[in-house]
Amino acid sequence: MFKSFVLSIILLSSYVAIGQNRVQIHGKLVDTSGHPLSQATVMLLVPKDSSLVNFGRANDQGIFEFKNVKRQPYIFKASYVSYVPLQMDVKPDQEASIDLGALMMKPISKELFEVVVRTAKAPLSIRGDTIEYNAASFKVPPGATVEDLLRKLPGMEIEADGSIRAQGQTVKKVTVDGRSFFGSDPKLATKNIAADAIQKVQVFNGKTEAAKVTGIDDGKKEKTINLELKESHKKGGFGKITGGIATEGRKEVKGNYNKFDAKNQLSLIGLGNNTNQSGMSFDDYQDFRGSQAFSWGNEADFGFTGNGRYFSFDDGDDQMGIPIGGRRDGFSKNYSGGANYNYDTKKTKFSSNYYFNQSERIIDKISSTQRFFQEKTQNSADTTSQRTFSGNHRMSMRYEKSIDTLNTLILISNGKLSFGNADQNSRIFQQLLVQNNLNPRQTKLLNGSEQQSFTIQNTAIFRHKFAKNGRSFSASAGYNYANSDGSSTQKSLSQFLSATTLRDSIQAIDQLTNNFSKKTQIKSSLFFVEPLSKAFFWESFFNTSFQSNRLNRDLFDRGSSSLETRNDSLSRYYDNNLTYNRLGSSIRYSKDGVNVTVGLAAQQFNLTGDFRKSASAPNLANIDLNYFAWIPKVGVDLELKNNRYLFFSYDKSVQEPSIRDLQPIVDNSNPLFLRVGNPNLLPSLNHSISSGFNLFDAANFLNLYTNLSYNYNVNQVVYNQSINSNGVVLTKPLNISGGESYVGYFGFGFPLKKTISTMNINADFNLAKNPLFLNDVLSNTNTNAGNLGARISFTPNDRITFYMNARFGLNNTSYDKSALPEQTIRNTQFGSELTVNFGKNTFLSYNLDYKVYENKTRGLYQEMPILNVSVFKYLGKAQKSEIRLTVYDVFKKNLGVNQFAFQNFVSFEKTQTLSQYVMLSYTYNMRGLSSPIRKR
Amino acid sequence: MKQIGILLFLISFSAFSQEGKKEGIVQYERTTFWTNIVTRLTYLSAEEKDRVKLTWGSSDEGWKQKMTLAFNENQSLYMQGEDNAEQGWAGRKETFFLTKNFATEHSTDYIDLLGKTYMVDDSLHAPNWKILNQIKEVAGYICMKAVTVDTVKKQTITAWFAQDIPVQAGPERYFGLPGLILELDINDGDVTIIANKVEFKKLTNEFNLKKIKGKKISDAEYNKIIADFIKESIKGFRNPYWGLRY
Repeated sequence: MFKSFVLSIILLSSYVAIGQNRVQIHGKLVDTSGHPLSQATVMLLVPKDSSLVNFGRANDQGIFEFKNVKRQPYIFKASYVSYVPLQMDVKPDQEASIDLGALMMKPISKELFEVVVRTAKAPLSIRGDTIEYNAASFKVPPGATVEDLLRKLPGMEIEADGSIRAQGQTVKKVTVDGRSFFGSDPKLATKNIAADAIQKVQVFNGKTEAAKVTGIDDGKKEKTINLELKESHKKGGFGKITGGIATEGRKEVKGNYNKFDAKNQLSLIGLGNNTNQSGMSFDDYQDFRGSQAFSWGNEADFGFTGNGRYFSFDDGDDQMGIPIGGRRDGFSKNYSGGANYNYDTKKTKFSSNYYFNQSERIIDKISSTQRFFQEKTQNSADTTSQRTFSGNHRMSMRYEKSIDTLNTLILISNGKLSFGNADQNSRIFQQLLVQNNLNPRQTKLLNGSEQQSFTIQNTAIFRHKFAKNGRSFSASAGYNYANSDGSSTQKSLSQFLSATTLRDSIQAIDQLTNNFSKKTQIKSSLFFVEPLSKAFFWESFFNTSFQSNRLNRDLFDRGSSSLETRNDSLSRYYDNNLTYNRLGSSIRYSKDGVNVTVGLAAQQFNLTGDFRKSASAPNLANIDLNYFAWIPKVGVDLELKNNRYLFFSYDKSVQEPSIRDLQPIVDNSNPLFLRVGNPNLLPSLNHSISSGFNLFDAANFLNLYTNLSYNYNVNQVVYNQSINSNGVVLTKPLNISGGESYVGYFGFGFPLKKTISTMNINADFNLAKNPLFLNDVLSNTNTNAGNLGARISFTPNDRITFYMNARFGLNNTSYDKSALPEQTIRNTQFGSELTVNFGKNTFLSYNLDYKVYENKTRGLYQEMPILNVSVFKYLGKAQKSEIRLTVYDVFKKNLGVNQFAFQNFVSFEKTQTLSQYVMLSYTYNMRGLSSPIRKR
Repeated sequence: MKQIGILLFLISFSAFSQEGKKEGIVQYERTTFWTNIVTRLTYLSAEEKDRVKLTWGSSDEGWKQKMTLAFNENQSLYMQGEDNAEQGWAGRKETFFLTKNFATEHSTDYIDLLGKTYMVDDSLHAPNWKILNQIKEVAGYICMKAVTVDTVKKQTITAWFAQDIPVQAGPERYFGLPGLILELDINDGDVTIIANKVEFKKLTNEFNLKKIKGKKISDAEYNKIIADFIKESIKGFRNPYWGLRY
């Protein structure tokens, strides 16, 4: 109190000094019956822009007073709950104080206040005598007209003949966005415009037509309604189309179109080319799938809450999802197209799409492989010519319904129908080295196949939140079905050039195989979360699955007179059933950046199966395997100060053997390299420890990612190899324990000069020990591999961008029990990219990718400089068109090169691939082309 | 002089005010609509903006955070509330404590900004509010509309202040209206801060903060750090708001 007293003295003295420029404004606020409005808010605003300069409250007698305010014009404003705010101009003259007298405030009509403000929670705007509110807040059935809407609004009455009365007076005129709507009959607008197109309804007293014409205000007012239409910014459509023709008969065309509004998204896409582009780009995929491009909550196999979430996208034809990307070796013709429709509201989300793609591919390759055994070495040089065709119809549907705030249901169905065929023509030259004896031989292969398959996956997920905060329950059910029906022919002729008898020297195979397989899976999962406290959560899950597989293989030997005889020793009928159950529980602590999960699950598999030579033949073997494992889980995830993250996890995973590995059949499509399945495989087990540290420094544009992990395998499925005296290799999967690997990654990005140049450095390593049986002797392959890379971007302005990168890869593979010498493989890559804007929307860009493949041990070396150069220009004012001339592979050097060193073999492979061509292309983009040339 | 005028006014009328509605705690829900924020980035092309809208727009229910404001006639403390981690992850709470003292006209804000903790210490600078003729209900209170502009971040700010809670406190760094701010809308709905509970009670130790270390800067210095960072980020094709509170 003393403080304010002192302050008042100071203020008083300053008032005296500058009193001439100060004024006092006072008055009293009352309601229509003269009662004081105590505690009403009073404000002084600047007339120019309604800026607030002073405010206060009226006292219990409704009296207010602004003392000592600057002498200038004001808007005086008073507000009081449920009263129309009062506003008046105050223009102080020379007087020392202004008395505004008793000011009367009018109540807002009770109806308007209760219905609009309290119930519909719509803002009320007061503009002089106009009161307007947001019509969107009033619920009307879909398809309703404005008339139906007006009927709901307080103070409105609609007569039987459609005429409108507002606050008791007849409405003479309805305007739409301030303009007359088809003449003066108000009913025309209200009967014809859909209610959901209306954003606001305004009711005001307009001047009469007569007053407007004469310019003399006759004081008569007409009730007018103005309908403000919703802004249409949520509607849109965009699309683009590109077509190009090139030398060598190359051409491509692709296009997409998207149309969307607040609820509906429709998109179409199509592409056709013979330039090796089989899938759409990621951006095109995102546009095509729209709101469903990244959809979460589709995981139906509940388990331990993981460290972080990730999305996965499909890139192959084997997958259920739409293929993305894909520039593959060889020569291919590709066609694809599809349509996607999404419907999204808060309560219901629906999405469906259809996508077709087909690809015809020609592959001509040469490869050289060295395969080492204890006393034998096999050198092989293959020339292969292959033609494959594949086509896929994909359909998917997703439906999500929020039944109420606590219950959600999701239904997902994905289907795929595939068909394909392939022809292969190979010539294999082999040398088998046995203690300095060379056994050369030659094989010609002519294989063909035709196949059709169908897959459908259905999932239902139900989620329930309990009223207790944090308690939730989820259940899922799934039904998957897949079948495949195909036939193949194997024709081969092998000549053993060093054989002594004619019988040994030539081996011919001419076979026809019919394959049929069927897979049915039913599964279900449950998940329950119970909050133990604000930071501790108890999570439990149960998974169960039953899978039934059938595989029928009928193999026929074809004689000289194309007579087919069934080959019982290579034909198999195989049935198996896999039952899987997992029950787990974990405790999670989550608070203030500390997230820790500790849990344990029990997992059980049962695999039963039997196989026969034909449908009616007796069983050759019955398989009944039981497997049980405890699965512990530890996860620690810390968010430290300043966007630094530290994580650690221990995971153990169990993977059942694949059907392909279990099937007890011999695959002799290459008679020199036989594959056989193993029906006695156990599930494989993997222990994994990983930890990492990430950092994002927004202020300095820095980021750092590091992680380190260790994996140890138990019962790993390994393809073991043995070689017979004729040099035929047989590979068979077996369970082996002891394989391990250390994997590390380091990535660091920092600005060389902020906003202009950035450098990224990354390094990774993989140190692995892979055991395998070579002719039944356990051997280890040790692979030490590492990569070191750097990238610099230089983006000084919007006219030039330059990128440069280099990558060095080294792979050192050694073998502890085979004759194979240590292999050193090097892959080196340099890249550079430049785009220059010459002005007038003309650009030049090049992209250089220089790769060197090298195997020091074997003396193999391949250089591949690939340079693409293009010139392009945006046309038109809106820059919607682009014309582009591109020279692909200027040096005509493109090749598909692959080299591996793994297990007991090293190989080097070259595939003839689409090389130099010059393309002229035109693009039309409805939204205009992106002008920044910078990459993100 | 303006502030002094307000103060004088407060002193002269404090005796008549409704004592019960001047002290308590407001719970706000702060919702960030990243789709809107991203589509405002000037360096994105029309096509990229459409892609963002198409992919995220229809399902953007906003990223929600709980905030609390302790207030009385003379001071206020605005800070992050208690979030529960039922989504399976609990993020770290950043340092964000805004204290205003209306009696001494002083503001002390503890803020984590771009990797550093600052103590923004200055006298109160009330925004230049414009009062509009619109009313609506927020959390059961009839509120009036006021607008201002954030000249540093170039944002339009809309506040809804309660007509019958005579306290000039508010969420974020906003205050200085004739009533408690119950709703704040940053840049046409990019971020909304809406009160869902107003509780009047006698506050005891709610304004007490444990000691926080931070580099002391003024409002002007704070604004300069933000302005420089936004300018630099846009130039470097980065979204400044990944590192900065919107």
